[in-house]
Amino acid sequence: MKQFDDTTKGTLRKVAFDEKQERSASFLATDWDILDAHSAAEGLEILPIDTALQKYDWLKDLFFTLVEKDKDTYVKEVASSDVLLGYFIRIKAGVKITLPVYTCYMINSNKFTQCTHNIVIAEEDSELHLINGCTANAHIASGRHLGVTEYFIKENATLTSTMIHSWGKEVEVYPRSAAHVAKNAKFISNYVAMCSVKNLQMNPLAVIEESGLGEFYSVIYAPENSRFDIGSTVILNGNGASSEIISRVVSNGGEVTTRGKIIGKHPNGRGSMACNGLLLSKKGYIHAIPELLGQDPRLELSHEASVGMISKDELAYLMASGIEEDKAKSLIIEGFLDLKIPSLPEYLQRQINAIVKETKDFETM
Amino acid sequence: MDVPVLEIIDLHVSVEMKEIIKGMNLSVGKGEIHVIFGPNGSGKSTLLNAILKLPGYSIDEGEIRIKSKKIQDMTTDEVANMGIGMSFQHPPKIKGVTLRNFLNAINRSEDLDDEIRALSMENFLERELNVGFSGGELKRAEVLKLYAQNPDLLLIDEPESGVDIENIAVISNAINKILQKETPMKLRERSAIIITHTGHILNYIDADVGHVFMDGKIVCTGNPKSIMEDIKKLGFARCVAACIKEPKDHHETIR
Repeated sequence: MKQFDDTTKGTLRKVAFDEKQERSASFLATDWDILDAHSAAEGLEILPIDTALQKYDWLKDLFFTLVEKDKDTYVKEVASSDVLLGYFIRIKAGVKITLPVYTCYMINSNKFTQCTHNIVIAEEDSELHLINGCTANAHIASGRHLGVTEYFIKENATLTSTMIHSWGKEVEVYPRSAAHVAKNAKFISNYVAMCSVKNLQMNPLAVIEESGLGEFYSVIYAPENSRFDIGSTVILNGNGASSEIISRVVSNGGEVTTRGKIIGKHPNGRGSMACNGLLLSKKGYIHAIPELLGQDPRLELSHEASVGMISKDELAYLMASGIEEDKAKSLIIEGFLDLKIPSLPEYLQRQINAIVKETKDFETM
Repeated sequence: MDVPVLEIIDLHVSVEMKEIIKGMNLSVGKGEIHVIFGPNGSGKSTLLNAILKLPGYSIDEGEIRIKSKKIQDMTTDEVANMGIGMSFQHPPKIKGVTLRNFLNAINRSEDLDDEIRALSMENFLERELNVGFSGGELKRAEVLKLYAQNPDLLLIDEPESGVDIENIAVISNAINKILQKETPMKLRERSAIIITHTGHILNYIDADVGHVFMDGKIVCTGNPKSIMEDIKKLGFARCVAACIKEPKDHHETIR
């Protein structure tokens, strides 16, 4: 693998891409260049998407089946890109791998627009954990990242996808992803962003079939001059399908819209949503928009939302125990962002919490 | 002679522009345990909150000194770091902050693990601070906090409220341990102010000095157990009336 300078290594580590971490497979691309795509596990395939298209005739039929080609200008731009950059990941039926796959996209040239298209397939009865980092190198003044990812999670399969973003003050990011979660399958999607970004907008879609489960967790720290519009839309498309959308947002001057939408169409579906926001500054805002649409009387759908500042009572209590004000605030914020994700393997939970702690950016506090 | 741990001189405190403490004096020496009795709403908790400089409590007149230093311009954490620890009557729930993380942030004790076991708090370490805790669990967590802080002066607000008998015994044992009650008084390092409106805690913790606090002032000082018996027999108002008549020999006067 190409040797990076220390600054670049630091940039990559901020999105959990560290070559020292044990892994089942790895993918790394900077600008248009794929620097690494290899799997160390039997039954797990990782290929550059253009290589995979040459290898598998059937793959082209999956393109833009979950994310519509003309969904918006950003998807159109990806679809019409001269360069096809992306990864193809497939875990074969019955194979369960606990070691994660690490992938990373990095913008390494100024004013670069990076378009990506990824396909992930978890075949029947398989289990796979992805950790996806996306970042811009430290010297990047501006750039754009447009990414389409389509997840196919077959019957009884489990796929977790943890996406960690660390951009820059003048970078715009428009991920477009969608997942099809088949009968009895599980899809757990975690999103962590702790740094500035000029504009980040995404609203991934998941269609959950009979007795399937989709969980979406987001942890956002938005400094001043950053703008996030993030959310998830879930369609409970089969009997007994269930979903949970949980977001924790801290705005320290950043503008954040956090959305969640659960649409229930069949009996015995369950969906719950919790959007909680913490405002640290009079600048910026948090706009929580939870939506529920029930189309069957036997559904259970619920949501809670809250936006507020750090409780004065909590702060006073910690200070009365001898903790100085800034440290007390950090303790509360870290705790607020410390999401417990019950369906995630414990080591991954620990790793995500460590990432949140390491990458949080309190420079404007 | 040791300087007092706490001196309160002609203190006036208001909350939201309303005067609650109306000129009180108190001196707590090293190793002394003071208990303050008073009816609900008399301003006892306001006193402890003012000592800790909690927000919303305005010192309008008089002064508070800790180890001879005036605290007027100190922040809450600075007062706490002078060696003051408080067991809150109603501690807030802090989501996301585990008891373990909280204790790690404040711990100055070398044998905290022993006290965690003594207070049966091992299974609460990964729980969010005070979230879903019962009355007894809240008090046990508060006492554990004091143990971790290792303060010179403990401010204990209504330790028996909302707690069953079994938990009162556990909490009292821990408080007695912190207060070094097995040690002769002259050798004790820590002092305390315990606030109570029932006095029940005196069945478990021996106090050295008792005070009755009413209408924003200390109106009676004497033997704590005698004062408690008189309050039980006569109620706060008649106990105080008798005390004012013969303040030096409070108990005999009541009889």
